Amino acid sequence: MDRLALLLTATGMEAPEDRSRTLASAQAGDLAAFERLMRQHERMVLATAWRLLGNREDAKDAAQEVFLRLYRNLKKVEAAENFAGWLYRVTVNVCHDQQRRRPITVELTDLPAASAGPHQEMAEAERRRVLELSLRMLPEKERAALVLRDLEGLSTSQVARALGSSEATVRSQISKARVKVKDFVEHYFRRRT
Amino acid sequence: MSCPDWEEKIALQVEGDLAAAEVERHLESCAPCRDFAEGLRQSLGMLREAHREPLADADFAAVRARVLERVQVKRRWIWWPAWAGAAAVAALVGWLWLSPASQAPPEAGQRPAPPVIAQVSAPAPVMAQAEQAPRKHRGRRRAPVPPPTEPLVVKLITDDPDVVIYWIVDPQGD
Repeated sequence: MDRLALLLTATGMEAPEDRSRTLASAQAGDLAAFERLMRQHERMVLATAWRLLGNREDAKDAAQEVFLRLYRNLKKVEAAENFAGWLYRVTVNVCHDQQRRRPITVELTDLPAASAGPHQEMAEAERRRVLELSLRMLPEKERAALVLRDLEGLSTSQVARALGSSEATVRSQISKARVKVKDFVEHYFRRRT
Repeated sequence: MSCPDWEEKIALQVEGDLAAAEVERHLESCAPCRDFAEGLRQSLGMLREAHREPLADADFAAVRARVLERVQVKRRWIWWPAWAGAAAVAALVGWLWLSPASQAPPEAGQRPAPPVIAQVSAPAPVMAQAEQAPRKHRGRRRAPVPPPTEPLVVKLITDDPDVVIYWIVDPQGD
């Protein structure tokens, strides 16, 4: 048990009962507990926002808004077990709101120049950029489904709950998104060779 | 060229979202669909590789600091009606205390002013004033020793039920 506790501490995680206690303390107005809650979930929220928005600064703005919404709604978050699902849902909603205010446009100029250079680093940066763009050109819901399922590793049912959709709808969105990403990536790299 | 009717199922099967024996059988017999499945696996692998977190500790710390700052400001503003109410009551009490009218002696046969207990709830403080002596005494020389009067008691009720502030003002300034 001690070893388990040590392991959880070392990895920055808390046992579920500790997490429930942290949530209860935060709900009672303990600011230090709220900060602990943020630390426990910041990686999940910020990484998801970054994958959905494709931009570090936008992702930070979104993560800030997610945690402020969490603070405002602390008393409404009931079950600690479903806390992560609640946060995923809020993160997706905040990112969608942000995209509506600052729409993503994929233009030809966003694509790296064909003469990106012979260097390994530049080629890698180009590859990364193309893959980011392949996500950005997806419709909002398909992108969210793909990010949560394939990059965050949630199950189809968890994705469905987070997006407020049925599993069948999510499966259809994931399937379409995977095919579009494949086509985009193959099209681009075929054009380059 | 893969078979369009199978694409959706293959796209689900490659990541284990669909375990259908019929998809397996079709892939065994259809080379273009096998290429299609391989292309899906490769592009998803590349996508995951490209989206491995490049986020630094500084990014997390920045978000945390911004959120905590906003939360603390919000918590401070929750108390402002109580503080505003307390300040208003204090100003009113001070005015009553320093006002010459409140220090004038009562007329002959008039009983001293009874203690006034005012209950004030933030954010709209309302306070009952002590009965004032007639204005005609203003400007006159004060009596050398005014008769003793009861202290003025002001009860301030804040948003917090555990916090009640009592102001006890001695009109003689003792």
